[in-house]
Amino acid sequence: MADEFIKGLGILTGSGLAWLVLASWYRTSSFESSKQLIEPLSSGATEGLFNIIGVTLMDVFLWFALLGALTFWVLIPAGHQIMSALEERRNAQ
Amino acid sequence: MSDNEPENEEIRSDGAGIVAPDDETPTWSERKARKTGLSRLTYEYFERARREDQDLRTESDYVERDVLAFPTWPHETVRNLSIASFFVGMILFLSATMPPHIGNPANPSTTPAVILPDWYLYWSFGLLKLGPLNPEIAILGDQMLMADRTYGVLANGVVVGFIAIVPFLNKGSARRPVEQPFWSAVGVFGVVFALTISLLAIKNLMPMNVDLLFDLTFLLPFVFGTITYAVLKTMREGYMYNLNRRYYRLRPPR
Repeated sequence: MADEFIKGLGILTGSGLAWLVLASWYRTSSFESSKQLIEPLSSGATEGLFNIIGVTLMDVFLWFALLGALTFWVLIPAGHQIMSALEERRNAQ
Repeated sequence: MSDNEPENEEIRSDGAGIVAPDDETPTWSERKARKTGLSRLTYEYFERARREDQDLRTESDYVERDVLAFPTWPHETVRNLSIASFFVGMILFLSATMPPHIGNPANPSTTPAVILPDWYLYWSFGLLKLGPLNPEIAILGDQMLMADRTYGVLANGVVVGFIAIVPFLNKGSARRPVEQPFWSAVGVFGVVFALTISLLAIKNLMPMNVDLLFDLTFLLPFVFGTITYAVLKTMREGYMYNLNRRYYRLRPPR
């Protein structure tokens, strides 16, 4: 259980940090804005190969952070619970 | 499972049987394959440390001191260096990848539109914005008993006074939150209130309704405090809590 927790936390923080940096590049007009990191893409964000890669990775990192934490904190433990419950039921019969 | 694990052997409190000899110390992969859990690993680690300490004490040139702890070098120093390196690296990384815009120099002849203290004083700044809670006295002809600013300053006194009183009400003998659910709930209430009152301080910048924000500022601490109390009270039911309570009350033999 502790292993799953640190995997989820590592994915959430590591991937979240990468998303934070990229979103500060492409979705932040000012650090005093009250909508920083969630603004629409700044102009010129889709010009050039590297910018396109950066914008793509921003979404990849965000979803990896969310889905990774969900997987290791909810789905896999729930799967273990289901498996052990099925095992118990099978042994009881 | 590995061969060097004792089977059906009563655990003795002197560390023998728990501490493996140096040449039989399991590798990390072997430890991981054991599936005996983090608690067992922690127990073995501290038991080993305690045994080493005991061996030191029995050496002839050992000078008895009152301190029982890990030595500063290398244990504490290596750990602190790694933590310090991590945070220095984070500062370098963030300042390199997200350099903040350096604005115009401050104009001393005009007041800025947004005035804020440093973030760690937002809670105190938020307490100055409790104007809607300032009571009106009907006898005085609907006049305020005191000005809103005086009321805000007195609110600081109430909060600081409560924090000063808490150590006299609770001596802090609990080792874990589950042992004293009520005081844990009070702690969570305080932490959440510090957060919400800080958000109230920056209500100009919050992208939400100001009245809703004001209500949530005082509602959310009670909600989270109640949830904490309910969860911890529920955790106290059951067998494992009593077992763990006995375990945590154990002290190493003198």
